[in-house]
This record gives sequence, C-alpha cells and structure tokens, in this order.
Amino acid sequence: MTAPRRQAALLAGGLVVVITAGLAAADVSPSTPWRHLYLLPVVLAGLRFGVAGGLMAAVGAVLAFGPFVLREIEGHGPTRAAAEGIVTLAVLALSGALVGSLAARARRQRERYETLRAVQRVLAAPAPLGRVAARLAAVLSRRLGVDTAGLVLDEGRMVAGADVLDPRSLAARVLVRREPVFVADAGTDVRPRRVVVVPLTSAGQTVGALAVERLGDVSREERDALVGVGAAVGLALDNARLVARQRRFAEELEHKVGAATARLAEMDRLKSGFVALASHELRTPLTALQGFSELLATRPFAPSEVRRFAEIMRGEIERLGRIVSDFLDLARLERGLAPAIRRAILDPAPLITGAVELFRRTRTTHRLELHVEGALPHVDADADALDRVLKNLIGNALKYSPPGSCVRVRARAVDGVIAVDVDDEGPGIPAEERARVFEPYYRVRETAALGPGTGLGLSVVRSLVEAHGGTVRADAAPGVGTRMTVILPALP
Amino acid sequence: MYAIARPWEPRPGGLLSGAPLPLLVALGVLTAGAGVLATAEAVPLTLAHALGAGGAQGALLATAVAWAAPRGGPAPALAAAIVLVGALGATLAPFGAAAYLAAPVWLWRQRARLPGLGLARASAGLVAAGAVLGALLGAHLLVTASLTLGYGVRAPALDVLAPWLAYDLGGNVLTTEAFVRGALFDRVQRRWPFGGAAALVTAVCLARYLVDPLLPHSLEVAAGAVFYLTLLSLGNCWLYWRSGSIVPGVVAAVAFFVAYRLLHVVS
Repeated sequence: MTAPRRQAALLAGGLVVVITAGLAAADVSPSTPWRHLYLLPVVLAGLRFGVAGGLMAAVGAVLAFGPFVLREIEGHGPTRAAAEGIVTLAVLALSGALVGSLAARARRQRERYETLRAVQRVLAAPAPLGRVAARLAAVLSRRLGVDTAGLVLDEGRMVAGADVLDPRSLAARVLVRREPVFVADAGTDVRPRRVVVVPLTSAGQTVGALAVERLGDVSREERDALVGVGAAVGLALDNARLVARQRRFAEELEHKVGAATARLAEMDRLKSGFVALASHELRTPLTALQGFSELLATRPFAPSEVRRFAEIMRGEIERLGRIVSDFLDLARLERGLAPAIRRAILDPAPLITGAVELFRRTRTTHRLELHVEGALPHVDADADALDRVLKNLIGNALKYSPPGSCVRVRARAVDGVIAVDVDDEGPGIPAEERARVFEPYYRVRETAALGPGTGLGLSVVRSLVEAHGGTVRADAAPGVGTRMTVILPALP
Repeated sequence: MYAIARPWEPRPGGLLSGAPLPLLVALGVLTAGAGVLATAEAVPLTLAHALGAGGAQGALLATAVAWAAPRGGPAPALAAAIVLVGALGATLAPFGAAAYLAAPVWLWRQRARLPGLGLARASAGLVAAGAVLGALLGAHLLVTASLTLGYGVRAPALDVLAPWLAYDLGGNVLTTEAFVRGALFDRVQRRWPFGGAAALVTAVCLARYLVDPLLPHSLEVAAGAVFYLTLLSLGNCWLYWRSGSIVPGVVAAVAFFVAYRLLHVVS
C-alpha cells in the first residue's frame, strides 16, 4: 500500500473511532444528527479505495453505530429513534457501495483514457515494430494494473512479453477465432491467475492479440474495457504502420525524384555537350567540302588532282550522311520507336568480311585480323543495319586504339546464336562505365580526347541489335583494351 | 507468459471432483447414528456428541486433505480418524481436550504434503491482520452482547477456557477453515469472481455453524451468529484470497471464538 493510500485508510479508520467515541461520550440517541458524520469516512474510503474500501468503511461504521441502535431497541423497543438508527445503518452500507462503485467506475474510465494516451505516445515515437511492441506491453502492464501484459503481432511472428508464441496457447486461439477469451485460473500459482486475451482489431481485421494476466480478480467491466483497449491499440498500431509505410514511401519517392533529377541534369549537360560536339562534327566535313569546292571552282587542277579532291569530298559526304543517319535513328529512339529495318534472310559471313576488308583498305595504321569459326548460320536481318553495326564497332576500335596495334574480329555460332567479338588494344573502358557507353550522348571521359564523336554511335548500335532480338555488351578484352560482343539469333 | 508461451488445456474435473465419497458416507452414517443413539438415550449424551461432532468435523478435514493434497499425499481417513480420536479423548479422559491438538500438530507435520492449505506460506502481516480481525469482531461481540443484549462476560478462567480453546483450535475452527477456505473456497475462487466465491462459501460456513447442535437455540444468538460469522467468513475469504493460506483465517476465527467463549451465553 502506498503512503497516500495508507494515510487515507488511517484517516477513515480514525474518523470512525473519533465519531464513535464522541457519540458514546455524549450518550446520544440513535437519532442524533451527529450520526451523519459517519458518512465522512465512508465516502472518503469509497472515493479512495472503490467498492471494497467503501464497503469496509461502511461495515466499520455499522459495527460502531450498531450498538447505539441495539441499545435503543433493547431499552425502549422499536421507537422512532431506533428506526432512524436502522435507516442510518442501511444508508451507510448503501453509501459505501454506491460511492465506491461510482468512484471505481470513474477511475477505470480515467485509467482507460490515460492508457490510450500512453499507447498513442509509444506509437508516436519512431522505432522498429518489435521495440514498439515491447514498450507497449510494458506500458499496458503498468497502466492496466496487471501482473503481466503481452502482445502478439504479425500473425504470431512478433511477440512481446514472451519468447515465442505456442500454437496451442490462448493467444494463438484468439488469433484464429478472433474473439476475446477469459480464463478464471491458469492453474500456475497458489492464487488464481486470471487471464484475458483480446484481439487487436482494425477495420474489421485482426492484427494481433493482447494478453493480460493478474493474480486477482478481473471484473466483467474490466474485461469489456480491455476489448475496447484492444480495438484502440489495434487501430493505433495499424495507423502507426500506415504512417511508417507512408514515411518509407515518401523517402523512396524523394530518393527516386532526386535520382531522376540528377539524371535529367546529367542528360541536359550531355545534350549541351552534344550540341557543341554535333556542331563541330557537322562543321568539319562542311568546311572541307566548302574549301575543296571553292578550290575546284576558282583554280584549274590536273585531272588526277581533281579526282583526289573528289574522293576526299565523297568521304566527307559519307561522314555527313552517317552523322545525319545517327541523328535520325536517335530521334526515333527518343520518340520510343524502334529503328526502321527491312529484314531478309542473309548469310552474315560476307557482311563481316566486307566490313573488315573495307577498313583494311582505308585504315592502314592498324592491323585488322578476322577469324570466322566454321560456317555461320543464316540470320533474319537488315543487311544495311548489320553493316552499320559492324562498321561502328570496328571504327570505334580503330579510333581508340594506338597506331600499330591490332583489332581482332571473331565470329562464331554458339547455341543457336551468332556471336561477333570486336577486340581492341586501346585504353579500355572503366568497369563502372561499361553499361553507360550505350546511353545516348555518353562518352567515356578518359578516351573522349582520343577522337571525334557524337556519343550516339553505340546507342544506335544497341537499338539496331535489339531491334533484331539480339544483345550487345562491352567487356574488358583479355590482356588490355575492350571487347564488344554482338549476339544475334540465328535461323535454325 | 502463460497466455502466449504455454499450451492451454481446459480444467479437468468438476467443482466437487476428488471427494472421498466412501469415507464421507461412512462418517455421515456415524454422525447420524450418534444422533439416533442420543435420541434413544442408548449412549451417554456426551459420547453421542463426541461421535457426532468428531464424525462431522472429521468429514470436513478429510475432504480438505483429499482436495489439498496431490497424488500420494496423506490419507483422508487418517485425518478423519485423528479428529474423531480427539473428540472421543476430550469426552472420555480427564484433560482429554488436549487430544484435539493432535489434529493441528499432525497437519503441521504434513504441511509440505498439503500445498493446497498453504500452512507453510502465510505472511506474518496477514496473520497479524487475521488476529486483528478476529479480535475486533470478538470485542464488538462482547460490547454489543454485554451492554445492549444483557449477556454477561465471565472472567477468563483457564480451566474453563482451555478445553474450549483446544476444541476450537483442533476441531471447530481448524476443520471448518480447512474445508471452507482451504478446500471449497480455493476451488470456487478459481472458477468464479471473488465476490461470488466468498458469498457461496460464507453461506456454507453459516450453514455449518447454524446446524451445529452446540449453538444455543435462540433467535438473537442465531441472528448474532449470522451477523458475526458472515463478517468473519468474508474477512477470512479475503485473507485466503491474499495469502493462499488458511493460517490467517484460523487465527482470526480462534481469536473471535475466544471472545465468544467469554460470554455467558455459552453453556
């Protein structure tokens, strides 16, 4: 018993003794108005200790005042004073029970609200659900005035108040049946251990179970209140989960928006670079064309010299054509369209050999090796598109390899596909950038200075290969350099 | 935690399961037979009283022992026999009332084998509370009965009080508390709320005392018995509820009956 409760008990008992002593000393009749003073300790005990306290004080008052009434009856028979005394005894008994009952009910109601507030406070603190459940169990145990409280959440996967959930336990039974259970005695103690398990509900769903145990009585009112607490805790838990989920979603969204913004900024930067680069790329052949055409128009040249100028101009025009083709393909890609291809059944070997031979003739600064392993099966493909793919890859390999190095092209049939490797001995592509070289406008920073380019070639390659149902990837070549591998489905 | 971590199984058996029925029937026959013999004046009245009281109180203690002991505990028949021998000894031998003390001594020696009675685990505070409860009710009884109802209070002479004290301690109070609180209330409180359980066993307790032939047959005494025994029984239920032991209740009842024996109403 706490000190304030002990003081209240002593005060109530002391009042009964003092009032009785006063009445006895004054030798009053049972109808004396001073008899109403007994209501003081009775009401005090009822307010402080509830029904039990009110009744005990009432019994004490009845025991103390009873002899006055009995003496009146013994001495004078059933007089008016005796009747008033008997009524007083009844009023005292009723007052103790009534005041105690009302006080207990009000106290329980207040405790219920305070419990719900405490539950809300626990749930408001951001923490993992397991820790929240443990805190909730402790708060409920303290607030509900029980010996132990436990929670079962997530269909028994999370337990607070015990180590594990026994599948034959009362809590497991409540999770299945979704109805409160009251057991008058667990049979585990000298005193009866009352057990109440109620479902935690939210929107008609059972989200867990709340179990409380007490060595002592759990009244029907308390059990009904526990069902209400279970519903409130279930709802609060569900809300807390929703808030946590919303918070996670907001964080994920923020992360994604941040990544997208960064990507857009990067794209913007790349596009700006591309515009400058494209202008330069277009200007170079145009300048050459302008210069040679002016020379041819203003000065006489020998026929051999005119042919040489014409060859140069044709080369620049082809370069312009390639750049414009890349732009057109990119424009289609950005609109979400696949490149336009015209399929036909063809033998890939002559295409590969032709592309390699073309570069052998024009780029004599490098060695070009071709290995075609066995007979290649036919493919259903656009010959022009495949030619562009091969020339792009071989051209890149030559562009980024030092003069005198070797570029190897190897074609073979493997498990229903045709694989074409283009290996160079250049500086290679850092591992973290290999996936990005196929993005539009992207150029590897370390090798961008080694040759002109728009950053569109490989993205066009990938779109063309994928339009044929194939794949392309960049790897480190054995030893040094880069290996580009194109895989195309072969016809059976 | 029991509700979560342990398997739940419905309680086996009913409220009265495990009672030693053959023994109770035999003791019932003995008690009824004593009544018949007394009516027919076939045996001395004191002997018939001893047989009747010993049989009835033996039945109470035997039931308490049967319910309070786990399998392999003391034999209920032995408990009944000890009470019966105590009652006969008090009647037949000079200073024979001391034979009543055999029952509490035997129970105390068997306390480890009778966990349901809680003889070994009463807290000193609750034993003191029991003494205060019994003393208060007893004092109130003396004041009320002597000042208002005209019953005299006699001086506490040891030769008069000692046999009564032995009877109350070893027969009357002990067997009643063992059965009503240690057996019946212990079972009922595990099924019903405290209020309901206390009301039921208080009714049983009142019935036990009101049918006792030793209670003087007058309305005011019966009314007083109902009043005080109701309060005493409710108080003892609360003491057992808190302590799980019959010792505080025995102390309270003995204290009350000591006061009762001081009244001239007692024959």
